[in-house]
Amino acid sequence: MKKLMLLPVLMAALFSLVSCTKKEALNEKVLNLVVGSEVKGMDPIYANDMYSSNETARVYESLLEYHYLKRPYQLSPNLAEAMPEVSADGLTYTFKIRKGVLFHDDKAFNGGKGRELVAQDFVYSIKRLADPKLQGLGWWTIDGKIKGLNEWRDNNSKAEKVNYDEEVEGMKALDSHTIQFTLVKPFPQFLYSLAMTFTAAVAKEVVEFYGNEFLNHPVGTGPFVLPEFKQSNRIEYAKNPNFRQKTFPCDASEDMEAIAKEYCGKQLPLVEKVIVNIIKEDQPRWLNFQKGNLDFISIPKDNFDAAVTPTNELASDLSKKGIDLLIQPSLDVTYTAFNHDLDVFKNKKLRQAMSLAYDVSTSNKLFYNNRALPAQSVVPPGIAGNIKSYENPYRGYGRAEQIEKAKKLLAEAGFPEGKGLKEFTYDCPSSTVSRQIGEYFKQQMAQIGIKISVVQNTWPELQKKIDKRQVELWGIAWGADYPDAENFLQLLYGPNRVPGANGSGYDNPDFNRLYASSAIMQDTPERTALYEKMVRMAAEEVPWIYGVHRQSYVLKHSWLKNYVITDFDAGTAQYLDVDLELKKTALEKL
Amino acid sequence: MNIYVYTLRRLLYVIPVILGVCAIIFLIFNVVAPDPALIILGKHATTEQIVEIREQLGLNLPLWQQYLDIVKSAFTFDFGRSWSTKQEIIEMIKAGAVPSATLSFPAFFLSTILGITIALLVAFYRGSWFDKITVVGCVTLMSVSSLAYILFGQWFFAYKLGWFEISGYEYGFPYFIPYILLPAIIWVMLSVGPDVRFYRTIMLDEIYQDYVRTARSKGLSEKLILFKHVLKNAMIPIITNVVIQIPFLILGALLLESFFSIPGLGSITLNAINSSDFPVIRAMTVLSAVAYIIFSVITDVLYTLVDPRVRLS
Repeated sequence: MKKLMLLPVLMAALFSLVSCTKKEALNEKVLNLVVGSEVKGMDPIYANDMYSSNETARVYESLLEYHYLKRPYQLSPNLAEAMPEVSADGLTYTFKIRKGVLFHDDKAFNGGKGRELVAQDFVYSIKRLADPKLQGLGWWTIDGKIKGLNEWRDNNSKAEKVNYDEEVEGMKALDSHTIQFTLVKPFPQFLYSLAMTFTAAVAKEVVEFYGNEFLNHPVGTGPFVLPEFKQSNRIEYAKNPNFRQKTFPCDASEDMEAIAKEYCGKQLPLVEKVIVNIIKEDQPRWLNFQKGNLDFISIPKDNFDAAVTPTNELASDLSKKGIDLLIQPSLDVTYTAFNHDLDVFKNKKLRQAMSLAYDVSTSNKLFYNNRALPAQSVVPPGIAGNIKSYENPYRGYGRAEQIEKAKKLLAEAGFPEGKGLKEFTYDCPSSTVSRQIGEYFKQQMAQIGIKISVVQNTWPELQKKIDKRQVELWGIAWGADYPDAENFLQLLYGPNRVPGANGSGYDNPDFNRLYASSAIMQDTPERTALYEKMVRMAAEEVPWIYGVHRQSYVLKHSWLKNYVITDFDAGTAQYLDVDLELKKTALEKL
Repeated sequence: MNIYVYTLRRLLYVIPVILGVCAIIFLIFNVVAPDPALIILGKHATTEQIVEIREQLGLNLPLWQQYLDIVKSAFTFDFGRSWSTKQEIIEMIKAGAVPSATLSFPAFFLSTILGITIALLVAFYRGSWFDKITVVGCVTLMSVSSLAYILFGQWFFAYKLGWFEISGYEYGFPYFIPYILLPAIIWVMLSVGPDVRFYRTIMLDEIYQDYVRTARSKGLSEKLILFKHVLKNAMIPIITNVVIQIPFLILGALLLESFFSIPGLGSITLNAINSSDFPVIRAMTVLSAVAYIIFSVITDVLYTLVDPRVRLS
């Protein structure tokens, strides 16, 4: 009998343990977010991937940021008091920095109290990004741009210790709250680098206090604080009690006016806590969202059909729970690159034939749940340079007449039915989907008699092969670093060939000329006209076989307020709000 | 020979083995490792940066010195910093060891006890319907892929019924318990099949031995024979099977940790492999090799404790 009693007691003990989870009390506004990959650390100069950059930007701030409620994307001042004064020659940028901004309290400061941010902090932070010993991953954003900075970097790379006291001509703190940058040549995109996390303000004494462990002790000026970063499954930020007077914007693009109207002038951040869960697998992410443990998620590929109807509407069982669906094109492009160093791909008609033979609609259905936009050229919708109604004459949709035309072009190129062409290799990353995309490409090319063999690589291996020119064709994608067509067009600019961003090695003197003249122009209708000219050229010349522009599909719970999809997520958590009353009732329905 | 002398001697043998393992690791990693510059510097790497980073990482040092560094790391556990996260590797390992251990040790303990007990029972009732059903049940459990257990368990028990947490982990006792319950149960489901079959074979081997017949003829009860004599004699293969698995427990459970967002060593290894983070992969390889060698010494010593017939020589 005793033994029989033991079992229920054990079971009861087990279930009482189940309930000892630390449950969130619904009396405090908490954001529950999710990321799908590890977060490396919290040092701004190494935050080169989306995940690390988003986390770092909760704690650190830069001079500028993207306006939360304006599309197309627009820069607005963050730690800067206003947008900079730019000299007539486009070389000098002078910023006034906000007064009274405090760093987070930390034992690295005298007395443990965060001190005021000054212009010198930016000089130090940007020098740190250029520090040759640290190898900051955002160096490319300012490489060759600021007068004297490259020389400073070169001088110090040979030195035993990097000398931060040595002045850099193009970067001066004119007084405690004014900083001036002087550029080597006009480069209007320079401002975008000042909105990136790479150039966020760090305090010298904190960097020196923590040394190698600085990446685990984030001390910034941002809306949230994190006493110590640990690589784990969860990061928990608290509201910065000393955050400066920063209020919710009152102006917005038309479709977001309602949000601005409701929240205009409210002090930021709007929540007390941000909890970031690191969940790498799709299923637990999806289930946690449905349980209400996460406020919003991008829909995992395998759950797409359960969430979205073929007419692009939210499934009714989800909408009954108060879940909303948001859709927005992303600033990216997928493509199959040709290695233009190979003589065979200098043959334009061959490239055009291959592009026409590639059916993008089926690939959209197979690999993107039919939710991507077929790319017509290199620049995605949503930024100046993309031509709305433009149709690429060599864009294949699998129509019979297109295949015929492709065959004709191939014959004109000197390879009727693919005769005389060797088997090409198609390199791709190692995921299953990449392999499937490769196999699909192989099948498409077989229609016109071109033979392909698919080779899979880990990401670093693929990069290495591209750099060493050991590739023929390869599948890859590019996401915008900043919302300017220049960031996409540079991928086809001849002088940018590897190790620069132009992996395919496309080099067309006409295109190069247009690019060089547009690169020094401010954002004007003339520059947009040049961009459009290049976009047409990049379509008709077929330097790559274009794939798609992907679209973000996001589900959010009703209690999450002010959420808008953005390509530049860094720093946006401060604008989000949680309606606790709504959450209480909505959770009951889940 | 004294057991201490024996242990010491076995431990001394470990040194040449570690040197050999390090040589293999050194060879593999120097032949297949991609250029670290690409991993560290990302998509915007320049030639000068690559030169600089190679210098910093000591990749320009003579080969023998690079080899010595690996050997040194096997003894000092100073593995340097990760290429991709820039975190101190030994700290990453320390942080990951706790969640891994809290999942794998209880689960392993439970599945071993369960495996041995069921094996003893089926050996006792060998040939009966209970034996047959158990064997068929074990084979069925083994035939289902581990992913199926995970996906179904997470969806049904955690999401639909709400008995467990869907995923996550909380440090400290007893907070971690709700998070490891479901993965631990899945672990037991996954390993109980092969365990029972393995231990059953061992028990059956023993049960037909002469000493069992003698014990029976002496009139000992089946229970006594089974638990006192058979179990004791089956201890050698059981110890071998159990102890040798322990080093791999430390490495964590790749899939379980990944699906249940448990920040253990399995996740660390998986991330390192995906991002070609060689110092971390190397550290995990060195560590598991060292652990394996040490635990095989422990196995040998344990043999002599449970079975006096095994001589120390």
